Amino acid sequence: MAGQSDPSLSIFSAPEVEFLAEDEMIEIVPNIRMDALNLLCGDFGPFLPQIACKVPLWLAVALKKRGKCSIRTPDWMSVEKLTQVLEAERESPREFQPLPFHYVEISRLLLDHAHDDIPEVYMVRSLIEDIRNVRFHKVESGLETISGRTHAVKLKNLSAMEVNIVRPFMVRVLQAFYKHDSPEMVQQVDTSANKRPQVVDRGPRPAFGKIWYIATAHRTP
Amino acid sequence: MPGYYDIDDIIMEEEAVSVVFHVGANGVGLLDPGSETNCVEKGAKIDLPFWLSQELCRRRAVSIIVPPCFNQKMKKDVQADAACVDLGTRYPYFYEFGCKIFPLVGDKSIGPFLRHTFASRYKEMLSKSHTASINAIPKFVLRLSKEEYQMFDAAKSSMVEYKKWRVSHLGLTKSSLLGHKRKTDSQLSPSS
Repeated sequence: MAGQSDPSLSIFSAPEVEFLAEDEMIEIVPNIRMDALNLLCGDFGPFLPQIACKVPLWLAVALKKRGKCSIRTPDWMSVEKLTQVLEAERESPREFQPLPFHYVEISRLLLDHAHDDIPEVYMVRSLIEDIRNVRFHKVESGLETISGRTHAVKLKNLSAMEVNIVRPFMVRVLQAFYKHDSPEMVQQVDTSANKRPQVVDRGPRPAFGKIWYIATAHRTP
Repeated sequence: MPGYYDIDDIIMEEEAVSVVFHVGANGVGLLDPGSETNCVEKGAKIDLPFWLSQELCRRRAVSIIVPPCFNQKMKKDVQADAACVDLGTRYPYFYEFGCKIFPLVGDKSIGPFLRHTFASRYKEMLSKSHTASINAIPKFVLRLSKEEYQMFDAAKSSMVEYKKWRVSHLGLTKSSLLGHKRKTDSQLSPSS
């Protein structure tokens, strides 16, 4: 991706993830009359007062900042839904509840720019914070199971920001595990190699034969 | 893979290892500080930097003695409690060094030993690095080897960046009033 701040480890910065989240669609209720907008990413509108329509989040925020619309809070951001999700998150120690992929970013953008459109805004804010904390703790305990044989980790329903936070650490850890678990590093411990050369049997073990020769070549030049 | 200009790789290869010479070498007396003549005798045991011993070992001129960080005592230490072993001050390039020296010495247990060490130290790193405080350096960081520290630092900085992002739009700036402490009388008029 062209926008990555550190291409060597493929890391997005938090504002970059937010930028991606701004393409999500959201419903707004305009209070102005405006013709349809024909943009590269699609046609939005026409905008009529009190008639709801769907626009990308970035457009919604831009209109909201100018006082031209109110944003309809998505269903999942209601207090009942979030309370349910939080309870379910606490009950199931292994699974993650399905939330929008960009829930951290969307909720922050809405809480910052459209807090007057959200009912019970303080409750929503603290619930989302709680959910995020519970989920992150789960991520950490899930990653504890990684060992040498792990080449990939499956984390269903994890959101963009949560992945982004653990990615730099995880990429390095998996690289280290991969390196230490590669076949050159972990040959089966050949006990005979530690003994004196004449004790070693020269039986049909082609896999170790070559290695053993290198080892003895040092001892008897 | 470390590049040619990788500074960590260069520093790691400076690490001294003990080697035994299989051949006599003339004109290299400076390698052996104890020698009286200008040559190294066959069978002499000398400490050389790793980059030199690596090349000599490939040419069968020397053989490398397993360095102390992979000896039996170290293995017992790791077995007892891997997280408490202080790699940071003693062997900052423990893993890289192990990977490089492993094909040159006959000891095949080094590979599994490295993996075991890393696997048992990983859990402590995981539980502590994302929750580490921003300003203070926790004690256990000093025990991490260079490679582990890079992982710890990656986790910490990504968490710090996230926290910064979360409050960046809120516009919660410190009031200018809070910055100024009221001066006490003694500061205003210092008694001389």
